[in-house]
Amino acid sequence: MPDRAAILERLTTVFREVFEDDALTIEDATTADDIDEWDSLQHIVLVLAVEREFKVRLNPAEVGKLENVGAMADLLAARAA
Amino acid sequence: MESGADILYRNIVEEGRVRMPLDTMDRTRVKDGIARARAAVAEGDVPAALAILRATIGAETDFLDQLRAARLTSGIDGAAHGLRPLRLAIAGATTLDHLIPPLQLWLTLAGFAPAIHLAPFDTATASILDPGSELHAFRPDLVWLFTTHRDHDLALAPGATPDAVRAAVSRAVAARVALWDALRARGCLVMENNAPVPADDAAGNLSGAASWGGRTALRLLNAELAFAAPSGVVLFDLDHVAARHGRRAWHDPRYWFHSKHAVAPDATGVLAHAAARLIAGARGLARKCLVLDLDNTLWGGVIGDDGLAGIALGSGAAGEAFVAFQAHVKALKDRGIILAACSKNEPETAALPFRDHPDTVLRLEDFAVFRAGWGNKADAVRDIATTLDIGLDALVFIDDNPMERDIVRQHLPDVAVPEMPEDPAHYIAALEAGAWFEATGFNAEDAARTRLYAENAQRAEHRASFVDMQGYLASLEMVATTGGADAFHLPRIAQLIGKSNQFHLTGTRPTEAEIAALARDPAWTVLHIRLRDRFGDNGLIAALLLHQQGPDLLVHTWAMSCRVLARGMEEFTANLILRDARRRGCTRILGRFVPSAKNQLVAGLYSRLGFTLAGEEQGASLFAAPADRDPWPTMVHHDA
Repeated sequence: MPDRAAILERLTTVFREVFEDDALTIEDATTADDIDEWDSLQHIVLVLAVEREFKVRLNPAEVGKLENVGAMADLLAARAA
Repeated sequence: MESGADILYRNIVEEGRVRMPLDTMDRTRVKDGIARARAAVAEGDVPAALAILRATIGAETDFLDQLRAARLTSGIDGAAHGLRPLRLAIAGATTLDHLIPPLQLWLTLAGFAPAIHLAPFDTATASILDPGSELHAFRPDLVWLFTTHRDHDLALAPGATPDAVRAAVSRAVAARVALWDALRARGCLVMENNAPVPADDAAGNLSGAASWGGRTALRLLNAELAFAAPSGVVLFDLDHVAARHGRRAWHDPRYWFHSKHAVAPDATGVLAHAAARLIAGARGLARKCLVLDLDNTLWGGVIGDDGLAGIALGSGAAGEAFVAFQAHVKALKDRGIILAACSKNEPETAALPFRDHPDTVLRLEDFAVFRAGWGNKADAVRDIATTLDIGLDALVFIDDNPMERDIVRQHLPDVAVPEMPEDPAHYIAALEAGAWFEATGFNAEDAARTRLYAENAQRAEHRASFVDMQGYLASLEMVATTGGADAFHLPRIAQLIGKSNQFHLTGTRPTEAEIAALARDPAWTVLHIRLRDRFGDNGLIAALLLHQQGPDLLVHTWAMSCRVLARGMEEFTANLILRDARRRGCTRILGRFVPSAKNQLVAGLYSRLGFTLAGEEQGASLFAAPADRDPWPTMVHHDA
């Protein structure tokens, strides 16, 4: 099982790049409502960027149903090598 | 050791359905290129930034990297840097939002300052037919109707008769033609893509093998669209683009079910690139001239060292690859691309293979300009552009040597300099990947373009034998014929006005449909001029749109081919304007000059013709001449 803290760190890098904000911080409870730019368009860009970083295939609909960033990290922990 | 291309290929095979360019060397190169382009923008050097991006990213570059590059170009004030304004509206029945950033990127790299309007999801037909729609309020120069196979009603039962198939296809084509006509009636240039054939069909092989199959019908439809499209409609062969990319990678069902994306996010950059290059062709910004290195580009080895018998051309795998590349280049020439040679060689040595090698496809006469010498290639390429009287942004430079490519890129950022692979077997693909030479039509002048430019070189030599200009002009035996916007000349008039940059007084870019409407309006005169001389037929060389405004005749548009510059054609054209002014009873001719990044050539034209400055407005200058003045003297005879 990969280190969950490390996953969150890698996710932070991805989020900062996608949302063009070097100071952006995320935590398990972060949701789309907390990030202004996280609309349906950027959601897809985010999914693509996460796929690349973690070398997994994701379904944008499945990711969209996740409750928050913590759920995303759990999903990645279960799938990523 | 595995090469970058091998790694890429392995990844394609392993990934299967979704193609991710995981080649880390390529990713590093792209990231580095975007960073360097960003630095160039920060220093205010936009041309350098665009040159770096052109050299480092391509249609197949990772979509997220294309988005990064798009963020950079979207911050550039294109119009302030001489890029050509373009208002593009897109209407489709699927989600296209992700197309906008890469499309903006590729249009900018093609030389446009684009403004893009995307009609709201699934409102295509209403947006087109409702004159009050946002789409029409946007006043687009070009409307792209984005369609997929779902937009065509081709439902056919298994075993449907051939007549039923043909009738269904005819109905589907007629439905599209009706939309085109509605847009053309409003003066819009229309672009419509044909339908990518889906990857999977329940009928299996029969889908494309039976006369009633879904793929058969779609292919028939795509072919019929090519027959149905009039010259004011640009047909975009998207089925080919999708097939070349890979049908399974083109459409990603995850994104279709999730958000009605007809094109996979990872293929969106490919779509944007192909569309932007075609729009460049439709609006006169395609490249015109291919400048070729010789050693290791058109044959293997170095002719000066290896000799005629030692170069690789014809026999052996490498030699075959060079023959194929030469044949491809020759085919480009045959459809109107000007060829130029640029080689570090003695001129006689460089010419040897084209004269004496039994397997050469290209001949010396295929090149409009042949430059062999020992100077630096940036100077040679600039000299080629000057000799041909075309802009540096009309050139594509091909050289196997990365150092030469770099020198040309650094000194001449407007020249397109594609990366070339090590293996000559991939030269054709590398050249074609840029889609530099897209055109929307083909005419007799395209077929004869290299001859036209070669004849001009002969005129230049002929001119050198005369000491006085009048004697030279008289000896040219120039005869001009004139006419209006007849069915034959209308598309050519639109093409000339669309393509001319240097000799274009006002930079106006009316569409073919708009020009046709003006030709029917009694307040307007549409004129074309053709010119022949002792060296040959120059074809259509000038187009005029004249607008009567009370006692004034305004020269709304005056575009002319630079090939005929300073031969008395300016005066001849002014006489045509004068004649129309008198016919209409106008007392004054008004000429406008609207400066652009490229038309400095004609900044002094009206003054030189004796017009007086009559005012200035928003950067444009207005010049006037009385209609009762004497005609201008010219050596051009009018064969009315």
